[in-house]
Amino acid sequence: MPTKIEKDEYTGKETTGHEWDGIKELDTPLPRWWVNVWLVCIAFAAVYALLYPSIPLGSTYWKGILGWSSSQAVAKSVAEMNARHAALMKRIGELPIMQVAADPKLKEVALEAGRIAFAENCQPCHGQAGVGRVGYPPLDTNFWLWGGTLPDIQRIIMYGIRSGDSKAHESQMPAFGHDGILKPAQVTTVAHYVATLFGIEKPGPTTAAGYKLFEDNCAACHGPKGQGNQTGGAPPLASRVHLYGDTLAAIEYQINTPRGGVMPAWHTRLDAGTINSLAIYVHALGGGE
Amino acid sequence: MKAGDLIIGILMACLGLIGLYAAAGALDLEMSIFGWSLAGFAVVFVFGLIKHHYDDVDAAHAAARHAAAGGAGHE
Amino acid sequence: MSDLALDTASARFVTAAPARHVDYNEDIVRKFLIASMFWGVVAFVVGCYIAAELAWPQLNIAPWFNFGRLRPVHTSAAIFAFGGSALFGTSIYVVQRTCRAPLWGGKALANFIFWGYQFFIVMAALSYVLGFSKSREYAEPPWHLDLFLVVIWVAYLVAYVATLLKREEPHIYVANWFYLAFIVTVAMLWIVNNLTIPVSIYGSRSYSLFAGAQDAMVQWWYGHNAVGFFLTAGFLGMMYYFIPKAADRPVYSYRLSVVHFWALIFIYIWAGPHHLEYTSLPDWTQTLGMVFSIMLWMPSWGGMINGLMTLSGAWEKLRTDPGLRFSVTAVGFYGMSTFEGPLMSIRSVNALAHYTDWVIGHVHSGTLGWVAFITFGAFYYLVPVLWKRTGLYSTRLAAWHYWISTLGIVLYITSMWVAGIMEGLMWRAYDAMGFLQYSFIQTVVAVHPLYVVRLLGGIFFLIGMLIMCFNLIMTVKSPSTARGNVPGAALAAGA
Repeated sequence: MPTKIEKDEYTGKETTGHEWDGIKELDTPLPRWWVNVWLVCIAFAAVYALLYPSIPLGSTYWKGILGWSSSQAVAKSVAEMNARHAALMKRIGELPIMQVAADPKLKEVALEAGRIAFAENCQPCHGQAGVGRVGYPPLDTNFWLWGGTLPDIQRIIMYGIRSGDSKAHESQMPAFGHDGILKPAQVTTVAHYVATLFGIEKPGPTTAAGYKLFEDNCAACHGPKGQGNQTGGAPPLASRVHLYGDTLAAIEYQINTPRGGVMPAWHTRLDAGTINSLAIYVHALGGGE
Repeated sequence: MKAGDLIIGILMACLGLIGLYAAAGALDLEMSIFGWSLAGFAVVFVFGLIKHHYDDVDAAHAAARHAAAGGAGHE
Repeated sequence: MSDLALDTASARFVTAAPARHVDYNEDIVRKFLIASMFWGVVAFVVGCYIAAELAWPQLNIAPWFNFGRLRPVHTSAAIFAFGGSALFGTSIYVVQRTCRAPLWGGKALANFIFWGYQFFIVMAALSYVLGFSKSREYAEPPWHLDLFLVVIWVAYLVAYVATLLKREEPHIYVANWFYLAFIVTVAMLWIVNNLTIPVSIYGSRSYSLFAGAQDAMVQWWYGHNAVGFFLTAGFLGMMYYFIPKAADRPVYSYRLSVVHFWALIFIYIWAGPHHLEYTSLPDWTQTLGMVFSIMLWMPSWGGMINGLMTLSGAWEKLRTDPGLRFSVTAVGFYGMSTFEGPLMSIRSVNALAHYTDWVIGHVHSGTLGWVAFITFGAFYYLVPVLWKRTGLYSTRLAAWHYWISTLGIVLYITSMWVAGIMEGLMWRAYDAMGFLQYSFIQTVVAVHPLYVVRLLGGIFFLIGMLIMCFNLIMTVKSPSTARGNVPGAALAAGA
């Protein structure tokens, strides 16, 4: 098709003379503002590339006039934040924990440090502000499996529970059902008794037999009245807080195939100041002992 | 475009064979599905090519008969 | 249809130009359009479901419904199945029409391209749902599917270029430059990013040829240019045909189209690192990504300017042509997104925006506002033409589609902007003593209501889509749009 330049009446511009399926093009020049803004952007890019790391040069690169580096910038920013509390946190880590709790200024800092350290490290298991859930002890009630004094809590955070650390708390409930120590009917009977301790069932015809089984098998760890044993980590059963759930089925499950939760040994991951802060925070949450 | 039909037909046949090999040796479910589906796709597609070819041949014959009979044809 | 003109002297329709009869392959275009609409519905339904899962994780009811498996189904369905089918269909329509040449290779090649592409789409979606994935964004299909797509893609490129070689007008129309850039560059990107070593030739698992920061760089060179060439260059090609055609006006500036085309395709390739700012990618690479993204701003706006200014002398058509309304709004969203992108590439802005929902908001202003809308504009134009109907079944329904979808987009992007900024600010908040103020879970809780608003936006967009599908099905089937209804119109040969 021969080139056929026409004039577009509306804009006053000429066409390029080509036509494709009825479509034509005008030869309007490049908009001035568009060109200028683009040139400004290119100039900005050039200047920025001079100031900042930009061009690869074999095994090195143009480091930029400002000598800026992203990793250094972040490190500097983090160091600035840490500096605001570094000295105080060091003291909190060095002093015995009872002394930290006694000092109002240190306690204030510890509570704040503990709050965010808890949110970042402990919340995934223990829940927001320590509400707990099935399998993960609540920390906001006066329900302590291994003791709730400040040194108790500090020790648990440091070494964990069943964590494999040499100083960790250890305990193991026998698998009464699975290992055949109790027959299935016996498991059910003693479970009903425990349910009365939980408060979810009223005493009934099997309670006496259940109590006998309880005395012979469970009282050694859980106590004759089901009050628990903090040295051995056996939870109190005569309680309204239940680690593995509130139902008869949960009780039976635990007697058959008992679970024992694992808590990490945080001394490998957190510094002394943070651990002490966490202990003070957790202690304040649940009304510690 | 008869040559085109032939080339595409051969290409699809090869792909179908590849599909069969893949399905035969497949180590996981996904490869197995891929292989069988590719083989099936190739079969259906080549059938389609053959059908269209003969449809065109029939249409050409019909048009020739129309023109020969002197009937008023469309197009 | 453009060949029809009214001879006012005789009051009869005549063909405006002596149209040579060309046997265009419209069958493949129709097939791709239908496929695109079908996959669009699938993509939007899955999108709504995963948005619901983000708000209510209980909806992860079974492995095949898990977010992790459904998310790539959504992205692949939206980009490759919906967007890709639309690009294939419109590009094949446009190249034939602007060249006045039928698609090279005959029916067999055309059907191979269509059915082969659909096979790829179905297999990819099936793979994801069964739990197979390379875990590279927008490049999740297992290695053998990648190879299969390359075969289809080569066939597509061959058919396209061979058709171009047969063109009537010696110059190539700008829409075809963009389509061709899309086809060629996506081939390069796809092949390089998907270079993997299969564990076994009979298994679907494979290891990337690249590792570490280099692997991340290759992935985001690909990922950004998937957006740049698949979702931008390809759809600019669509825009350059369907806006001047629907407006019946010449393209605003040939010179601008040349300059912005070359600038766009040269600069876009470098922008990948802006996805990796403040990561372990080297600082110099990050800088290059940032500055090239900034230099990309005006070249992108060149497309916007050409698209909008082509309406000069035809603005009143926006009142009567709903398809054109979609196309023009698309160009507006395109302008907004291509400003937002460079803005987010600036280091200090990225420090706030990275990993937040602002990124998702940005993505969807581009995909819903630009990609989907320009596609709708093309469909509303094409369906009556391809099925030889007098016009749309209902312009009112098209108007409803427009307003409901626009509302959906607005809900989507504003909720994500607010969520994103909130997340960015909360994550970096320190108190006076230098302790972090918020834990991550607190930010999740804070944005939850915005996730629900986003879901609502998506639902509106889906409703709009369904309205369009109904309208277009009725356009094809309803007797009210049958051609014979227009008195005295002579069908132009080849129209």
